[in-house]
Amino acid sequence: MNKKIKKDNSLIRQTRRWSPLFMWPVVAAFIIGFVWPFIQGIYLSFCKFRLIRDAEFIGVGNYATALQDASFRHAFWYSALFAIVSLVLINVLAFAVAYALTQGIRGSNLYRTVFFMPNLIGGIVLGYIWSMIFDGILSRYNTSILMESKYGFWGLIILICWQQIGYMMIIYIAGLQAVPEDMLEAAKIDGATKAQTLFKVTIPNVMPSITICTFLSLTNGFKLFDQNLALTAGQPITYVDGAMVKSTEMLALNIYSTFYNSNSVYPGVAQAKAVLFFILVAGLGLLQLSYTRKKEVQQ
Amino acid sequence: MKKILALTLALVMALALVACSGGNNTPAEDTTPADETSAATGSVYWLNFKPESDDALQQLAALYKDQTGVDVKVVTAASGTYSQTLTAEMDKSAPPTLFVIGNANSVKDWSDYALDLTGTPIAEQLNTDAYNLYDDSGKLVSIGYCFECYGIIVNPDLVEQAGHSMDELKNFAGLKAVAEDIHANAATLGFDAFTSNDMDSSSSWRYTGHMINLEYYYEEQDAGAKWTECPPSLTGAYMENYKNLYDLAVENSLVDRTSLATGGHDAEAEFKNGEAAFWVQGSWEWSAVADSVPNATMIPYYCGVSGEENAGLNCGTENCWAINAKASEADQQATMDFLVWLVTDPAASRIAVDSFGAMPYKNAQESTNGFLAAADAYAADGCYVMDWATNYQPGVDDYRAAAVSALNQYNASPSDANWENVKTAFIDGWAVQYKAQNG
Amino acid sequence: MKHQTLAAERRSKTILSVVLGVICVIYVLPVLAVVINSFKLNTFVKTNTFDLPSGEMWAGWDNFIKGMTFGNYPFWKSALYSVLITVFSTFLILLFTSMAAWYIARVNSRLCRLVYYLCVFSMVVPFQMVMFTLSKTADSLRLNTPWTIPIVYLGFGAGLAIFMFVGFVKSIPLEIEEAAAIDGCGPLRTFFSVVLPMLKPTLISVGILEIMWVWNDYLLPYLVLDINEYRTIPIHIQYLKGSYGTVDLGATMALILLSIIPVIVFYLLCQKHIIKGVAAGAVKG
Repeated sequence: MNKKIKKDNSLIRQTRRWSPLFMWPVVAAFIIGFVWPFIQGIYLSFCKFRLIRDAEFIGVGNYATALQDASFRHAFWYSALFAIVSLVLINVLAFAVAYALTQGIRGSNLYRTVFFMPNLIGGIVLGYIWSMIFDGILSRYNTSILMESKYGFWGLIILICWQQIGYMMIIYIAGLQAVPEDMLEAAKIDGATKAQTLFKVTIPNVMPSITICTFLSLTNGFKLFDQNLALTAGQPITYVDGAMVKSTEMLALNIYSTFYNSNSVYPGVAQAKAVLFFILVAGLGLLQLSYTRKKEVQQ
Repeated sequence: MKKILALTLALVMALALVACSGGNNTPAEDTTPADETSAATGSVYWLNFKPESDDALQQLAALYKDQTGVDVKVVTAASGTYSQTLTAEMDKSAPPTLFVIGNANSVKDWSDYALDLTGTPIAEQLNTDAYNLYDDSGKLVSIGYCFECYGIIVNPDLVEQAGHSMDELKNFAGLKAVAEDIHANAATLGFDAFTSNDMDSSSSWRYTGHMINLEYYYEEQDAGAKWTECPPSLTGAYMENYKNLYDLAVENSLVDRTSLATGGHDAEAEFKNGEAAFWVQGSWEWSAVADSVPNATMIPYYCGVSGEENAGLNCGTENCWAINAKASEADQQATMDFLVWLVTDPAASRIAVDSFGAMPYKNAQESTNGFLAAADAYAADGCYVMDWATNYQPGVDDYRAAAVSALNQYNASPSDANWENVKTAFIDGWAVQYKAQNG
Repeated sequence: MKHQTLAAERRSKTILSVVLGVICVIYVLPVLAVVINSFKLNTFVKTNTFDLPSGEMWAGWDNFIKGMTFGNYPFWKSALYSVLITVFSTFLILLFTSMAAWYIARVNSRLCRLVYYLCVFSMVVPFQMVMFTLSKTADSLRLNTPWTIPIVYLGFGAGLAIFMFVGFVKSIPLEIEEAAAIDGCGPLRTFFSVVLPMLKPTLISVGILEIMWVWNDYLLPYLVLDINEYRTIPIHIQYLKGSYGTVDLGATMALILLSIIPVIVFYLLCQKHIIKGVAAGAVKG
């Protein structure tokens, strides 16, 4: 035992000498690409500025403005609703498809290939493809995806289902294939029906996959940007009680347009919104982490 | 912990050094010639906001480089993205030396970054002060480099083919009679009254930015003086007139108004191919239509306001040069030299004038733009010029987007309730945006 | 009795297979719509979206020619930059994060743990949080070209990669490396000739995830790159759709088709790895 530690130490000591090569490139890039912008971002959320170099500290004013902004609050509730609806639909459908594809039916591989394919297409492109399709259908009824918020909402739901079901399906298939054969056999011998087996044996066993997919689709739903921009960009827009509301605008897009639209007070407010957004998304991530941890302990 | 911090800091500094020297060691790929030459002669970086002028500007840049050896980089923002491109570019290490401050909104945003142009060589070349923008302190923030006009482009040949005369087009009643007659007989005539009027991003500004100017203008007249800053609210007194003209244009057109929201029509091609007699557009289209419709002319926005027989075209500009106050002196000087060259050199100002329309400079070439000639003719007849009050639109991107949304609903079902929403978007929306911007 | 249930099961499997087959056909319809509309004249795209481009609607290859030459920026350039950025970024990420991950897992010093937790933390930070400041930082360090933007990708994408590599390295028994060390291998050789080959499955997983991310990314290159000189395919398509007067939908669809063909070919060639990679990445992430 003692010997082993010694050996370890010598290996580690040797390796340490090479840290400039092994560690520094990543650390340097990480500081440029993440740490520094993150810290600067937090600082700027307390500043008034148009260009970063002229930032002036003003305290929490930006946060107050952000929270009073009706369009931001609307974007939050809209994103939440979207995230929950897409979460349910994506997971139910993806699980159903994955379950069907693990029943040993003919053509499983082909089907899996097809279902996963939309994942490889980028969000902007997806948005334009679907905007053409929806408008192609809706124009027959003399309307357009930009005309009603319900079209925009369900359009985006359809788009996101089309894109992400395949992804979640892959994770579920991996989970389903890991369900121990002997448990399924035992259930069969005990005379359990298919439904009983599904709910009593299969689903409890794929619980880890379900947790992962739930949180993935939840955070994906909140973070959606490209598709939102390319499909409706927030249209239709209405005035409600003296405030402007972009009815299909989600959080990420709201932050983006607050940053880059023409208005001198906005970049600081946008950065404050971004910090709030970060707290929300990170909170969901931590929730997932603690949830998975708890599950692991229980098992 | 301290060690880590020190190490991190050292790393950042080392990396910054590496990155900088890396930048200087690769002149072959260098995108910012400014670095190489700024010390000596300076260079010009023009952030342009009109996609349709891009070709002409690149040509001018190349010409200037040939003649003087000074680099001129022209970057054109995609339409509708100028303000975000400007924000991003101004924060960069080699920001634009020349950019556009075209309306009250951007004066507010950018005056701190604009050089005071009072008494500069380029300001002395101007033949009018009409297109200049000043900030609250009276600093000359930007100067007009060209002016434009908009209204309704007409193909007189088609009007006559339909058995009407241009003389009938002197007020809204006359315009309406002609347009409705052409539209009713479109099948036999083989052409229609108005081109398509798409509400997608490629052309919705013709209604939310231009045609709405008639409302602002007459409201301005009622107030007794030209606006000098953005008013906090509007009365909406002339929305009915806007409705008159808007309805006329979308009802009597080649395409069904319900299909406008999705867009995809090509109004320019329709006008050029003689499929429609009227097109709501501006003078910048002259070079595009002059070949196919050489007789094309422009009439004012007749909308049913009393005394509109004396109306002229909407003349003004959003095209105003501002020089970056934070650029190096050499770059500012280079930019200034370039601008003076642009408005005095015969060949250069020819190219510029042909692309822009007309330039308010003493030594610039004369315009050949037929629509601007029409504007001059109206003015010569004593008609009033409708100035571009539209330049005061607060929170302009959102304001227009909301108006597009309301107009889409209204096009889908032209009911009174939906018209109320259009009014809300234009009139109440103004106050909302004003408040958001000014607290 | 048993025979009957088997037959019934076979029948229900056939029905299931057919149903899924039908769904699959519906699934590829959007892509087919892109194909047929890319050959259609612009004016018919919105009105006759689902008709075949026959007769007067047929535009031939004009849409492709127009799309590729539209707006003063040649399409081949943006395609080239997209490939360049994707390949270079993925390579950089795979090389450096696997090295760092091995170092972190083996040395496990305080700094290592700090970096590791920061990486895990960065995975939950949405891009909007850093986009404004990142584009500024990247610009002042001249990371605004296709040759340097991979450094930004390395920084912003390090989190997931390091997380996955560390997880895998920890599962490798130390004995193999010790044996190599006894044989006289220095850390560098140990890593490249012993550890790296063992990392192959994770390399593929991470590589696939990074390729998918970088190739399709729109916002980061849009904000960071010097947009006048360098565009990627998503930026090019956004420009085409959002500018230059009338939007030509036929040409847009032609470009979209051109941009997804390589992706689909790539997918069909390596779908086994892609699917495996995604499953691995998700289970760990």
